[in-house]
Amino acid sequence: MRILAVAQNTFREAVRDKVLYVLLFFAASTILGSKALGWISIGQDVKIVKDISLAAVSIFGVLIAIFVGTSLVYKEIDKRTIYTIICRPMARWEFIAGKYLGMALLLAIVTAVMTLVTTGYVLSLGGSVDATFFQAVLLIYWELLLITALAVLMSSVTSPILGALIVFSAFVVGHATTILIDLPDHFKGTWTEFVLTCVYYVIPNLSNFNIRAEAANGVAVAPAYVLWAMAYGSVYTIMLLVLASLAFEDKDV
Amino acid sequence: MDAISTLELGKTYRSSLLRALPPSLDGLSLSVHENEVFGFLGRNGAGKTTTIKILCGLVRQTRGEAYVLGTSVRKRHARRHIGYLPENPYFYEYLTPRETLDFYGRLHGLGARERAVEWDKVSELLDLRDIASQRVREFSKGMRQRLGFAVALVGDPKVLILDEPMSGLDPLGRRSIRELILRMRDEKKTIFFSSHVLGDVEQICDRVGILVKGRLTSQGRIDELLGKQDNLVEVILTGLPAGVLSELEARALSARLSEAGHHLTFRDKQAANEAVRLALTQGGSLVEFTPLKESLEDHFVKAQEMIS
Ligand SMILES: Nc1ncnc2c1ncn2[C@@H]1O[C@H](COP(=O)(O)OP(=O)(O)OP(=O)(O)O)[C@@H](O)[C@H]1O
Ligand SMILES: [Mg+2]
Repeated sequence: MRILAVAQNTFREAVRDKVLYVLLFFAASTILGSKALGWISIGQDVKIVKDISLAAVSIFGVLIAIFVGTSLVYKEIDKRTIYTIICRPMARWEFIAGKYLGMALLLAIVTAVMTLVTTGYVLSLGGSVDATFFQAVLLIYWELLLITALAVLMSSVTSPILGALIVFSAFVVGHATTILIDLPDHFKGTWTEFVLTCVYYVIPNLSNFNIRAEAANGVAVAPAYVLWAMAYGSVYTIMLLVLASLAFEDKDV
Repeated sequence: MDAISTLELGKTYRSSLLRALPPSLDGLSLSVHENEVFGFLGRNGAGKTTTIKILCGLVRQTRGEAYVLGTSVRKRHARRHIGYLPENPYFYEYLTPRETLDFYGRLHGLGARERAVEWDKVSELLDLRDIASQRVREFSKGMRQRLGFAVALVGDPKVLILDEPMSGLDPLGRRSIRELILRMRDEKKTIFFSSHVLGDVEQICDRVGILVKGRLTSQGRIDELLGKQDNLVEVILTGLPAGVLSELEARALSARLSEAGHHLTFRDKQAANEAVRLALTQGGSLVEFTPLKESLEDHFVKAQEMIS
């Protein structure tokens, strides 16, 4: 009940954020403009449209998660709206959970809208969408849930700018985790190698959520894999939310 | 059981740099009885807001304990009985008062029916009806304060903790807040409020506490705090023959002349009475007879000096 009240309000506030519409506009432009690229490779346009559109859903979803997510808790403290909320008989983690849920709802709608635009566009080009396409969307959303959890953690410990930088770096590195261990030889045995190896094991491997190539090419993906990837993401998401709650628990506001 | 009690409460904020900050609150012990209006006085930076934030669970104390109706403020259900009005309350700018109160009602766990009843009650009390559908963004300071008070009343809390409820309001606004506070006392609530406007405090408080640099220097009923010293009496007399005047001036502690007449201060009522009797029999007349009380302001200033 209390969590839902916070979630609903977070959602209500987020849909008033102009950044959201700017990003949605660019996402739609990218999706609808993807045919221009598909045109070069004759006969492949539907495939290219799917590929680029799914990438757009992912990138713009992440940008929304970062821009809105990293200021979620920070803004409440900064604008002091939190005073009259935290003083209720409510646990701090409930506040974090509410903020997170509101954001998850927002992203669900954003992802659904972008998917709808893509689907309509693909159909209008005479193509079709299959189960793998929707599995790809589902995993993109699951990745957004993880990124949002990290953004919420950042927003309860640091400023939105620093938070956004950290989350964005984590997103980039998470998609290319192997660069952390495929080091040139002269790093062998150094502290740098040790630190990077640690980072490798801590950072989630976000390419687990990437089945966009399969979706674009119509290659089936086993449902078991999708479930495994979702479980993998959920573990990280829950850990990040617990950390956010702990960080927020004793914070003076 | 006290409505609020603190025991050696202390708070030292963590600084962002590793530099050590002085304690903002330093061993505060106070008790606020049930169903009284308690004025929490102190200059800017004395630690009033810090104390209130600890009571409301916004800030964690670094030492000591605080209880609201017997429950430690570290526990979340201590806040079930608290209605809190922050210093300059902030609300979501895009909501209307009705939506705002609905939101807080939900945070308090009230159902839709109860929230509607709550709105009827609180909007009437704070005169929010005519601005019910206006956005908070367009509100003046006074309207925000009224909404803040309404939000504090959501859930019918037994203890109201108000941080400078009258600051920034015009005389009528201050008066309506004062009346509201007294009305809440009639409803058997306890009201703890901070202020540095002594007049407001003197008018409505049952007891006061004075905070100086994070420490409580005195606590008690206003008349007790002020009545501890001898009461001087000032009389104003006119038409005194020269001889009588010099006689009375010799008896008085101080004397001066104004348009109203001769002001003479005596050490107590009896001395003043004798002086007046003499003056009257010698053809003088009495203009004023005023027992001089130490004002809360004098006491407040003295409290500051005691510490520094
Ligand atoms: N978040 C914070 N971090 C560091 N120091 C703080 C913080 N909040 C308050 N202080 C310090 O604690 C002391 C007490 O501040 P507090 O706000 O409690 O005073 P106050 O009595 O409410 O003053 P005012 O009448 O101006 O509202 C001040 O010296 C202030 O600088
Ligand atoms: Mg203050």
